[in-house]
Amino acid sequence: MKADAGITYLDAIREAQAHALRDDPRVFIYGQDVGAFGGAFKATKNLAQEFPGRVLDSPISEDAMMGLAVGTAIEGLRPIIEMQFADFSTVGFNQIVNQAATLFWRTNIPCPITVRLPFGGTSGSGPFHSQCIEAIYAHYPGLIVLTPATVEDAYSMLLEAIALDDPVIFCEHKFLYYHLKAEKLPSEALPIGKARIAREGRDLTIVTYSAMVHEALEAARELSSEGWEIEVVDLRSVKPLDTDTVVASVARTGKLLCVGEAWPWGGVTAEIVARVTGEGYGLLDAPPQRLNAKDTPVPYHPNLWAAHRPTARSVAAAARNLLRQ
Amino acid sequence: MLQTVLDARPAEEIVAGREQMLAAYRFMLLARLLDDKFAALYRAGKIHGGVFLGRGQEALSVAVGLTLKRSDVFAPLIRDAAGRLAFGETILDGVRTYLGSALGPMRGRDGNIHRGRPREGLLPMISHLGAMISVVNGMLLARRFKKISGTVGAACVGDGATSTGSFHEAINQAAVEKLPLVLVVANNQYAYSTPTSRQFACDSLEEKAVGYGIEVQSVDGTDLSACLKIIGEAVSRARAGAGPQMVVAQLLRLCGHGEHDPANYVDPKLKNSPLGRDCLKVAEEFLLRQKWADESQFAVWRSAAQHEIEEAVAQVQREPSPDPFVEEWRAISTERLGEMHRENES
Amino acid sequence: MPQLGESIAEANIVAFLVKPGDNVVADQNLIEIETNKATMTVTSPCSGKIEKFSAQLNESYAVGAVLGQIEATKEEAARLGLDVASSKISDTDRVSKPDGNGSHTRVQPTVRGLPVPANAAGASYLSPRLKARMTELGLSAADLSGVAGSGAAGRVTVEDFEKFIAQLEKQKTSDASSMRVAVADAMRRSWTRPIAHVGMPVCLDPLFAFRKIARPKPGPALCALRALAVALAENRKPAGRLVGSKIVHPSAIDIGFAVEAEDGVLVPVIRDADKKLLKDLITPYNELVELARERKLPVNATGGSIATVTNFGTFGLEWATPIPLPEQTLVLGMGAARHEPRWDSSKGQFVPVMEANLTLSFDHRVLDGGAAGRLLQRVSELMSKPDQL
Repeated sequence: MKADAGITYLDAIREAQAHALRDDPRVFIYGQDVGAFGGAFKATKNLAQEFPGRVLDSPISEDAMMGLAVGTAIEGLRPIIEMQFADFSTVGFNQIVNQAATLFWRTNIPCPITVRLPFGGTSGSGPFHSQCIEAIYAHYPGLIVLTPATVEDAYSMLLEAIALDDPVIFCEHKFLYYHLKAEKLPSEALPIGKARIAREGRDLTIVTYSAMVHEALEAARELSSEGWEIEVVDLRSVKPLDTDTVVASVARTGKLLCVGEAWPWGGVTAEIVARVTGEGYGLLDAPPQRLNAKDTPVPYHPNLWAAHRPTARSVAAAARNLLRQ
Repeated sequence: MLQTVLDARPAEEIVAGREQMLAAYRFMLLARLLDDKFAALYRAGKIHGGVFLGRGQEALSVAVGLTLKRSDVFAPLIRDAAGRLAFGETILDGVRTYLGSALGPMRGRDGNIHRGRPREGLLPMISHLGAMISVVNGMLLARRFKKISGTVGAACVGDGATSTGSFHEAINQAAVEKLPLVLVVANNQYAYSTPTSRQFACDSLEEKAVGYGIEVQSVDGTDLSACLKIIGEAVSRARAGAGPQMVVAQLLRLCGHGEHDPANYVDPKLKNSPLGRDCLKVAEEFLLRQKWADESQFAVWRSAAQHEIEEAVAQVQREPSPDPFVEEWRAISTERLGEMHRENES
Repeated sequence: MPQLGESIAEANIVAFLVKPGDNVVADQNLIEIETNKATMTVTSPCSGKIEKFSAQLNESYAVGAVLGQIEATKEEAARLGLDVASSKISDTDRVSKPDGNGSHTRVQPTVRGLPVPANAAGASYLSPRLKARMTELGLSAADLSGVAGSGAAGRVTVEDFEKFIAQLEKQKTSDASSMRVAVADAMRRSWTRPIAHVGMPVCLDPLFAFRKIARPKPGPALCALRALAVALAENRKPAGRLVGSKIVHPSAIDIGFAVEAEDGVLVPVIRDADKKLLKDLITPYNELVELARERKLPVNATGGSIATVTNFGTFGLEWATPIPLPEQTLVLGMGAARHEPRWDSSKGQFVPVMEANLTLSFDHRVLDGGAAGRLLQRVSELMSKPDQL
């Protein structure tokens, strides 16, 4: 056992599930390898033992997993479905977007399911273990899409997600799992639907989410030494998107750079730009800009991977371009 | 009047034999006449969207609906008008959904056969075939969690659905979890225009059961008494904990895929074979032979059913349509998280 | 015509199975129709008597088209719920008000004639935020001429702007009068055109001689006004206005003249100045000057003039380059009169001559130096015979 003190992002997720299982008998977890094995990332480690019969191993059937989740939800249970990777959730895509997301709209019966997606890239993961597909789920009405960037948010937002009566797509960043640590779990938190000012600034607003928040903060530090103060907004939830906080930030700085790890076409960054341009046109002192991953599948080789997605370096460069306008 | 008499009785009272056959026949007749009415309304231009009938499948369908208890779970396929009525769905629910009444169970947000009452065990299908089976699985698993025993879930599908991935995943899941699922496959020989020769390569759909490790039975879908017997056995075995049960019924679709489809592709040889027999006629002949009913009885029941249907249609024609300016345009139940988009404000 | 199947929009009438006057029952087949996929029947919505068929054999009708009429009893209609009068389709009028003329002009996208895109190198722009701030403070681009831009390509950023405003607030300011603001706006708008100036000296001796004997006495500026009116009546082109590619011809020869009023300039107008003789203009002119000075000009005494005359000579100025009113092409100016030595070749020496500079400031899009010069020549000529004005 390592001697580091501190709770990792992954620990926080496990803790939140443990709390939910303890406090609400309707909660159960269903996914591949989540039972005795504790999950591919150990997100459910020891939970099967602590809560017998409530953490179940599923066959490799994302479609059936999601259909089953909806069925249990109709009966009043609150399932947590762990997808082993976000990239595999597309096998169950139909059940998520056509069964779960439409249940309330069609029948007035809420669908309190939580789908946990380990998403985002880590070096060497390649095209099918790295995807960021929150925008595709956000596109469908009837889903809530969350992207916590901190250990504290991973904990409190997962708890809140399980308690919500609507289907939640909970995007957990795989890189943050072990790399992010906090001293303790929070006792209170911003509610789902509110964005957080991760860093106050004056000259430019970066709006981003999940692991990119940390890249943006690093870029802000670099730019601070050059005399620029960058404001960083952590969206926390992609849908609903806290337009008010974003627009208020642009009101302060006049410049907007949206950063996302996902692909460019129709991503979360595009949605933000559309909203700010439509609702805060008179606040912009320069054209709003986006920085996304390249429009190709996520590459495997670390050289390619490092160039494929935004990094603190490329975020700072994009910010400088905008600051010089 | 027919409806209330039948709704009042708990399912256990209908015993095999005469009472069950008579009850089943009356539901089949009601379903047939209701389907005819929907077809007529369609041809009179009164229905928006498609109309999907169950002509020829009433015997199998009613067997499922009648055998299940009200506390069971039922995911019908598009041609299960008879089964729905036998399970307890009202004529009004069907008429309202087809005519788009704001008072229907789907409130105009979905239509035709996409209707149900999930909390009452009748699942409103989505259009993707095979997708409802795992939802039934989920409901059965939940009941197990809640320590509710003795529930059975029936999912009905056609031959076409057996090719889908969700069909495969769901049966496998039910088998692994040993759920009390009864999977009824109505092989009516065609999936829209696709004959079974282009749908599967195994000799018979029953062979699939071996692959999943579940029990399977075959039945002549045109024969009501056979359907009642076989479905009854399957439901009992599932209820007793024998794991998922598959029943494959052979019959012929006696209508188009939808009312827009004249179905000229159906092989006339099939129409003229025993497979092509009208199960309603077969049931009538059986009842006459057994002297459990006579022609005048049939006429009385027919007229009563017709009347009930017409009253329902007349009532629903007067009901309001959904009003887009009053409609709550929010797809999630948590109000504070609903996004307001400027373009949605009117 | 009922729904006919996916993506089929119409069907052909193949046969009528009943005729007007026949009694029919609900769901009875009435008309046989054919699409390119199948033959179907149209059924009766209720029992009753066929009143008429509006559809015709072998014609095609769209889904939803009325094919005929059935007469039914009230009871029958009620029985089948067909007595509901209102349509079940939502009121589409509430969705949007249709255009008055019902047409939608199609926008042809083109880059011709558009300004250089804002993010192209070398271009600068006023950002939406800057424009919003300027609107808030009532400023226009002219007000920013004193602001050095620190942005790309010299762009004035919001930061530059706010610094500028902060600076202004540190300096002593007073409110500009509404007259001042109005003049500023007029001059700014006028200056969006290319303005050019020409001038020539005009001999005033004949005029001063005339004044000795004339009663009442016309002033030099009024003479110039009358001369301009006569010259323009002979040739209106120099006073035309350019709008796009059209020259708008002046209708009446109404000429205005500048009167200094507190903090600004008023321009009363002599209407139809070409149709009145100089001696008849003197009294109205003097009245208008008085009214202007007292700020009591009636509404119809200003506006609508096609040119203006300004006598900057009264301030001692010999030369000036006035700016025409934004809605006019010309302003004729007159400088201070003074004695100038002019060579008299008949006497072989310089002789003193009373002269003033006559200037013409004009919108160079409408006329060039030649036309301007000829106009001044003619005015000068007319002013040399004041008894004929």
